Amino acid sequence: MILRLALRDLRGGLAGLRLLAACLFLGVTALAGVGSLTAAVLAGLSDQGQAILGGDVQVEMNQRPASDEELAAFTREGEVSRLIRMRAMAAPAAGGDPALVELKGVDGRYPFYGEFRLRDGALADRPRGNQVAIGPELADKLGVNVGSELRIGAGAFRVIGVIEREPDRVSQGFALGPSAMMDQAGLDATGLIRPGSLFIAAYRMKIPASADPAEITRLLQRDFPSAGLKVEDRLNAAPGTRRFLERLGQFLTLVGLSALVVAGIGVGNGVGSYLDNKRGAIAMLKTLGATSGTIFRIYLAQIGLVAILAILAGLAAGATVPSLVAWAAGDAIPVPPGSGIYPDALILAAGYGLLAALAFALVPLARARTVASASLLRGGVEANKRAPWWALAGALGAGVGIVALAVWTAPTPAFALGFVAAALGLLALLSLLAAAIRWTLARLPRPRAPLVRMALANLHRPGAQTGRLVVALGAGLTLFTTLAVIESNLSAQIRSTIPARAPSFFILDVPSGDAERFRATAARAAPDAELHLMPSLRATITAIGARRIADMAELPEGAWFLRSDRNVTFAATPPEGTRIIEGEWWAPDYDGPPLVSLDAENARAAGLNVGDTLTVSVLGREVEAQIANLREIDWGRLGINFVIIFSPGVFDAAPLSLMGTATMPTEREQAFARAINRDFPSVSAVRIQDVLTSVADLMGQLAAAIRAAGAVAILAGIAVLIGALAASRRARVYDSVLLKLLGATRGRILWGQALEFALLAFILSLLALGLGTGAGWYVVVNLFELEWAPDWGAVLLTLGAGAGLTLVIGLAGALPALAARPAQALRAL
Amino acid sequence: MSDPYVIDVANVTLSLGARAARVEILRGIDLRVEAGETLALLGPSGSGKSSLMAVLSGMERPTGGVVRVAGADFTGMNEDALARARRGRIGIVLQAFHLLPTMTALENVAVPMELAGEGDAFDRAAAELEAVGLGHRLGHYPVQLSGGEQQRVAIARALAPRPALLFADEPTGNLDAATGGAILDLLFERQAETKATLFVITHDPALASRCRRVLEMSDGRIVRDSAS
Repeated sequence: MILRLALRDLRGGLAGLRLLAACLFLGVTALAGVGSLTAAVLAGLSDQGQAILGGDVQVEMNQRPASDEELAAFTREGEVSRLIRMRAMAAPAAGGDPALVELKGVDGRYPFYGEFRLRDGALADRPRGNQVAIGPELADKLGVNVGSELRIGAGAFRVIGVIEREPDRVSQGFALGPSAMMDQAGLDATGLIRPGSLFIAAYRMKIPASADPAEITRLLQRDFPSAGLKVEDRLNAAPGTRRFLERLGQFLTLVGLSALVVAGIGVGNGVGSYLDNKRGAIAMLKTLGATSGTIFRIYLAQIGLVAILAILAGLAAGATVPSLVAWAAGDAIPVPPGSGIYPDALILAAGYGLLAALAFALVPLARARTVASASLLRGGVEANKRAPWWALAGALGAGVGIVALAVWTAPTPAFALGFVAAALGLLALLSLLAAAIRWTLARLPRPRAPLVRMALANLHRPGAQTGRLVVALGAGLTLFTTLAVIESNLSAQIRSTIPARAPSFFILDVPSGDAERFRATAARAAPDAELHLMPSLRATITAIGARRIADMAELPEGAWFLRSDRNVTFAATPPEGTRIIEGEWWAPDYDGPPLVSLDAENARAAGLNVGDTLTVSVLGREVEAQIANLREIDWGRLGINFVIIFSPGVFDAAPLSLMGTATMPTEREQAFARAINRDFPSVSAVRIQDVLTSVADLMGQLAAAIRAAGAVAILAGIAVLIGALAASRRARVYDSVLLKLLGATRGRILWGQALEFALLAFILSLLALGLGTGAGWYVVVNLFELEWAPDWGAVLLTLGAGAGLTLVIGLAGALPALAARPAQALRAL
Repeated sequence: MSDPYVIDVANVTLSLGARAARVEILRGIDLRVEAGETLALLGPSGSGKSSLMAVLSGMERPTGGVVRVAGADFTGMNEDALARARRGRIGIVLQAFHLLPTMTALENVAVPMELAGEGDAFDRAAAELEAVGLGHRLGHYPVQLSGGEQQRVAIARALAPRPALLFADEPTGNLDAATGGAILDLLFERQAETKATLFVITHDPALASRCRRVLEMSDGRIVRDSAS
């Protein structure tokens, strides 16, 4: 009976529930889209694990090939393919500036899985001997084509093709330069592989279908615990990329959830005004014998039905996001997303949608049940009763459900909780400000001009939607302003602030015996260059205290230095600018057991203190050292900063190279780069500006993704605005008609309405500017620890666009009231 | 029925609003109405006629006094209990018809019986519409009906559950004279057939003269009762 009555009542059309449907659709689409895309890319990573890893199991080691014993262990498991990768400089043989490349020397078995393909026009299917295949970005950067000659290290190589597909590119993580690929003979010809040079040797295994890659991984880690091996298998290829994607997905989901909460305000408004319009029918049904419970169930069924339809439509739209992104973004995403349906993501989005609908619709629904049948006799003039406690508790419970779901499903619950708390804080703050704005407007002196008076009154009179609009539109605009502040601040840092204080070049792989000759060359090319070189080795941390890293299920949050191998150095005296905050530096002539100086932030995250021990594996040998002191590192200087610095004498016998920085006026950079490339082809001189550009590109892509998710908040805010306009349509028509009757022209009425929305847009902009700048400042200064240098032009442009949109939509929505003809409208009112 | 009175109220008061804005609407109403009677309630605007009807029909809870209607004691009932008590006991016809716009004539008439869980709601609704001369308009929506037809549907809706008591609040107020006359004829005709007690609220002395008993209200009190 309830459903029958509900469906009957819906015959009047769904127009009244459009706002509910639109808001839920937007919110669920965003969440289903982000969830599906994350799942699709992660599924892509899993499905293509073999191709991405380049085998079933991969073992990587630093600065050395595998020992005979290791190689024998690999070969026992299946076929083995060896690959060497490193950073190097490539320059056109005909002359020109060198560029950093990610150089890869592969054997004949590469790739075991997936397809390596060159673009049409290639001279061969893969490079052999003195041939090289290059990434398209390198061809553009160096201005070379197929057939051109490149100098890499000590060798000269003919470009035989431009790489179209390199299946294992993702597993190498963030790349500073484009790819250059050659075979092992070609790599030998470069002369870059020497004792001490920074390279990674990767051994990939193709194992029988019946073998378990996870078990092989476990056995290899067990058999070679101190060799500093990084063992990965196809089930968890590119763990860094996976972790990054999971966290990005989580962040975007949280942004989407914020949008859903804004949309929830629209849901509440939509349901509230729909039920307001139904008061007559509700009172009549009660007169005919319907109880409050029956009324509640009838409208719950209706709203539930529309909500479910909107959620289903949102799920359908969200499910297409992976395909759309794959089509639109192409190579910008690291792994082509799978094209299937991802039920987990959709179920989660549907859960959020249902909970949001319940959280925001329950209170107006509960109020509807209190409509008295006697209101039929009082012309519907009746104050809204307070919602009953159980409705408030239910709404609160649904809200808590959303938070719990967000935290429970998050890879990093603490971050999710913090984000949700911040979002709720923002909404609470906006609600308070909205109340303050209405209170203030109501107490301003009454302007003499009647239309100005009316414009002001429209913002604070009983039933005015200003409060809800400030919260809904304010949240979206604040989010966008925050993003604009952060983004413009980062861009400004990357464009000007960082380069101004950062060195010009990172110098990698200076052979330790060539240090003096290198200094001389540098001094000739750039006499005023400031050169800092330090010995460097690659090391993998294998244990902290008594705990083996391989045995830890989860690495401590923030202790990123434990994740992969890194450069370590040794020094007798503290490097320039060192700030020791705990412990003491060793004596310059210290000759005792190994000591180590550690970055304080990482040490804290890993729970390490002065006196604890740290074990690293260098060139296959484990070294245990006691922590002598903790240092504070200023990462903003972009110098060469070592998280781990050993006491002297530990690596005396190890072959090592030097790395460091060179600082010089910009006009010397070209001559310096060319001279170093000419005289030291094995040395990489990486322009900081190029690195910053790569970082800026990555940041740009991330910002685009965040903006896309954040745009839903703006759209939801606009939906709320449109809903508010629809709800106030009757009052606006009435005002407009009466003003016309009293002699106002349409132009003057329009001016009055423009003033109202301009005021609203101005208030919103001011709020968003204040809150967005505050939030942006917090992120930039406290989280990123960067200087505060936002680009106010970009921020104000973003804000202006948002405020302009509010004004235009407000006016467009108010126009129909202007067109109402007095006689006709008065009859209908 | 052991109770000879279909309406039996004593010392009924009704106040609306809070504190300073409190208004006394009904000031100690005593009234007994026998089953099958026709009764008109006259009085100027604001005298409390509609409020008295609201209290008698259970649409409003009195501030004080005892209300017994059609065998049910309304005293202490909450709104939902009153809604249940109305089912099958009380029919109401209002000046503005108040048909449910999204339902056809047949569905409008069936609703109170559906709410009461009666299985033959639609058959009885069709029969009642036939009785008010709208057998050919069962599937029409309110907007497709004239004012007079809408009020006929409202009368059918009120009488279909066979209530003991039928309230009509200015039933011809929104109709022209000719249509209004026809509606009144129908109302009294159906009352005679169903034997329901008819309680009409009106400004119209001509309509009041068609009722056996006439009450007059002023300032929240019954100031004249033709039966006394």
